[in-house]
Amino acid sequence: MNEENNILWKKVLGEIETEVSRANFLTLFKTTVLLSLENGIASIAAPSTMIIDLLQKRFYTVIKKTVDKYTKIDTKIIFIPKIINKEFRGSMTVAPLLAQIEKNQTPAVGHLPRVRADYTFQTLAVSSSNQLAFVSATTVAKKPGLAYNPLFIYGPVGVGKTHLMQAIANEVYKNDPDKKIIYTTSEEFTNEVVEAIRNNDTARMKRKFRNVNLLIVDDVQFFAGKDRAQEELFHTFNILIDAGAQIVLSSDRPPSEIKKLEKRLSSRFAGGLTVDIEVADFELRCAILLIKAKKYNLDLSIETAKKIAERTHDSRELEGLLLKTITVATNRGTAVTPELAENVLNKGMVEEKKFLRPDEVIKNICSFYNIKETLIKGPKRDSRLVKARQIAMFILKQDLLLSFVEIGNILGGRDHTTIIYGVRKIEGLLLDKNFSKEIMGIKSLFQKRWGTP
Amino acid sequence: MKTSLILDRLQKKILFVNHAISARSQLPTLLNFLIEAKEGGVTISATDLEIGIIVSVPAKTERKGSLMVPAKTFVELIGTISSGKINLETTPEGLMLTGDREKAVFQTTPTDEFPKLYEDRGKSIMVLKKETLEKDFSRIVFAASPDSERPALSGVLIKESNEGFLLVATDGYRLSLKKNALQSAKKEKGEGEVSMLVPARVIRELIQMEKDEESEDVKVFASKEENQIIFSQSDTMLIGRLIEAEFPNYEKIIPTDFSTKAVFERDSLQKAIKAGYVFARQTAGIIKLAIQKNKISVSANAPSVGKNQIEVDAKTTGEENEIAFNARYLLDFLANSISETISFEMTGPLNPGVFRETDDSSFMHLIMPIRVQEAA
Repeated sequence: MNEENNILWKKVLGEIETEVSRANFLTLFKTTVLLSLENGIASIAAPSTMIIDLLQKRFYTVIKKTVDKYTKIDTKIIFIPKIINKEFRGSMTVAPLLAQIEKNQTPAVGHLPRVRADYTFQTLAVSSSNQLAFVSATTVAKKPGLAYNPLFIYGPVGVGKTHLMQAIANEVYKNDPDKKIIYTTSEEFTNEVVEAIRNNDTARMKRKFRNVNLLIVDDVQFFAGKDRAQEELFHTFNILIDAGAQIVLSSDRPPSEIKKLEKRLSSRFAGGLTVDIEVADFELRCAILLIKAKKYNLDLSIETAKKIAERTHDSRELEGLLLKTITVATNRGTAVTPELAENVLNKGMVEEKKFLRPDEVIKNICSFYNIKETLIKGPKRDSRLVKARQIAMFILKQDLLLSFVEIGNILGGRDHTTIIYGVRKIEGLLLDKNFSKEIMGIKSLFQKRWGTP
Repeated sequence: MKTSLILDRLQKKILFVNHAISARSQLPTLLNFLIEAKEGGVTISATDLEIGIIVSVPAKTERKGSLMVPAKTFVELIGTISSGKINLETTPEGLMLTGDREKAVFQTTPTDEFPKLYEDRGKSIMVLKKETLEKDFSRIVFAASPDSERPALSGVLIKESNEGFLLVATDGYRLSLKKNALQSAKKEKGEGEVSMLVPARVIRELIQMEKDEESEDVKVFASKEENQIIFSQSDTMLIGRLIEAEFPNYEKIIPTDFSTKAVFERDSLQKAIKAGYVFARQTAGIIKLAIQKNKISVSANAPSVGKNQIEVDAKTTGEENEIAFNARYLLDFLANSISETISFEMTGPLNPGVFRETDDSSFMHLIMPIRVQEAA
C-alpha cells in the first residue's frame, strides 16, 4: 500500500461511484484498498469474504475496466480478505486502563507539553554572566529534589531564564521519562486556578500539580496581587517540597522585591538557592548568535556576529535581528556579511524612531521645564507655560506628524488655529542657535528613552 | 423447489439466522434469507457482510432449488403460525408456504446477488465443549469495546498458554481475564499454538448459537489467509472474520499487590449498586465504594436530585479505602459473574480495582476507577 496506489484507487473509486448505486458503493467499495499493482495484477483488499464474493460476481468488469483505463494496461484483479485500518483521525478513544503501557511504548525526548525540545543545556551559551545559574541548573537536573530546592532564577528579559528552565525539564525527562514534569507560567497556573474554581473542580487541579516530580513555574512576578493563585501555589509548594519534588521558579527580580506577594511565599521562594542571570555581555551575545545561526544552518562570521551583537542586549531580540539579516540576505541572494548586517539593521532603527507616543513627549517636555502636566494642558497663559506648550505643539507636529486638530485635542482641547500659530512661532524661534539647542536637548530626552542613538 | 419440513424445527433456527440480518443494511439483497432446498434438508443463510449464519433443518425435498425471501416478513410469519408440518414450493407467484390451515406467498428474488459466505472452511483447529463455552465467554465478552475505532479492543483474545486457554478482552476502561479456560476443549493435533482475536460480536453470537443446539461439540475452523473463523455446531454455522491487530500488553496492567481487600456476596452488592444507580445515573454513573471495617458503604450523590447510601456486609482486610467507579461497569460485571461471593482488591483511589470470583481463582475483572473530587 503506497501513496501512488492510494491516489490511483481514489480515482478508480471516484469513477465507480458514478456508475454503481450509492448503497453498493457504500457497503462494498468504501472499505476497499488497493494493496499493490505489480505485473498487471491489482490486489485489492476488502474486509470480508462476503464482500469479496459480491465484488467479484457483480463488479469485476467495472473494476477491471476502470483500473485498465487509469493504468493503460490489461490488468487482472484479485481480492484479498484483509481489513485495512484507516489512519486514526484526530482523537483516539481514550483508554485510561492502557494509558500506562501505551505511554511506555514511545519514550522520546521533546514530548513534554509546553517545553521546546531544542532548549537544552547543550544549546545554551555560557559565560560569566550566567555561569552560576547554569551550574546550579545542571546540578538540579542531575539530582532533582536533592540539590537546591527550590531553585529561583531571576534576571531581566532575554537573558535565557526560560531556556535554562526548559533545559532542566528536558534533561530530567531524558534521564527518566516516567518522571512527571509540569512546566507552566504563572499566568497559566492562575488561569487553571480560576478555571478550577469556576468549574467547582479544584480537586482535579490540585491532583495535577501536587503529584509531580518536577514543577517549573516561569515568571512568578505575575503572581503579584493574585491572592487565590498565591494561596494555591503556597500549598502546592509545601506539599511538593515535603514529597521531595523539585521546584524551579523564575522571575525578573529577586523574591524579596516582588511586590504584592505574600510574605510566606516570598520567604519560601528564597528558601532554596536564588541565582541571578545578568544581561549577556558582548562576548556572550556573539556566542549566542553563533549558536542560533547554526540552528538556521548558517555559517555566521565572527565579524557579522559582532555587528549584530552591538545592537541589543536582549538575546531574544538578538535572534530577531539575526533572522532579519538572514531573510534579507536570502531575498537578495547574497551572503551574510558584516556590511549587509549593518545596512539591514540601520534601516530598522529609522523605522523604530517613529514609535513615540504623544503623552511620552509631553511628559518629557514637562519634566524638562519642571512643570506639571495638568498645567500644560490647562488654560493658564504664563509665559513659561506658553513656551513649553508651543514646543510641545512643534514636536508633536514635526516628529509625530500629528494633525493640528489632534494636537489641539491632546493639549487640553485647544483650537487648531492656536496650534498653527504655536508651531509657526517655534519654527521662527529655531533660527536662534540657543533656542534650537534647547529643543535638541528636549528631543534627546525621549530619544534616549527609546534607545535610538 | 418443493420441500416439506417440521415447523417446530424451523422456528428454533430461524431466530438465530435472523441475527445476521441488519435492518440498517444499505443493500436490499442483505435484507433477504437465502433458502436452499437440498436433498434431506433446507438451509437458510443470512449475512450483513460482517458475519454470516447458515442453519439447516431436516426436510423431505422433492424438487431442489434456491431463492431469496424478505427476512423480516418470513421470520414474523414463521413465528406466528402453528402447524405440525409445512410445505415450501415455488409457484409463478412466488414462494408458497402451506401449513395445516395456513397459506402464504412470499415475493422472491433471484439468488445470484446473494454473496457466498465462505470460500473454504479452513483448517479445523479445535473442538469446544458447550458447557464451558458459555460460562467462560460470557464473563469476558462484555468487557470488549462495542466500536471498532481501535480494532484490538473490540475483540476477545483467545490464546493458548501452558495453563490451557486464556481469554481476555478490554475496552480500555475495564478488562476481563480468564485463565485455564475452555476446559475439555480438544485441539487438533499438528496445529500450531492458537492465538486469535475474534470480534466480540462473533463471540456473542457464538454464545447465542450454542444455547439452541443439542449437540455438545462446537467445531472451530480458521483460515489465516482468508482471515476467517467459523464456528460450527451440528446444523448451524457462524462465520466471522479475525481481527488483525495487536492486543495490548494486558499483563502489565494487572496489579500485583493490594492494600485493601473485601469479600462480599455478589447479590447484595448488585442490589446496592442498582439502588445507587438511581441517583448515579444523573452524574455519569459515579458510585463511590468506601471499604470500612466489616462493610462496604455504597454511595451516590447527584447534586440536582439527591443522594443515597447503602451498606453491604463484607469481610474486609487491610486499610480502609475509598474508590469510585462507573456504576454501569460494576453492574455489567456483577450481572455476568457466576460466583456467589466476590472478592475485591484495591491499592488506592486511582489504581484499577480487581474483582475476583471466590469460586474460580482463574478469573479476574479489572475496572479503572473514576477520579472524583475530594471534599475541598
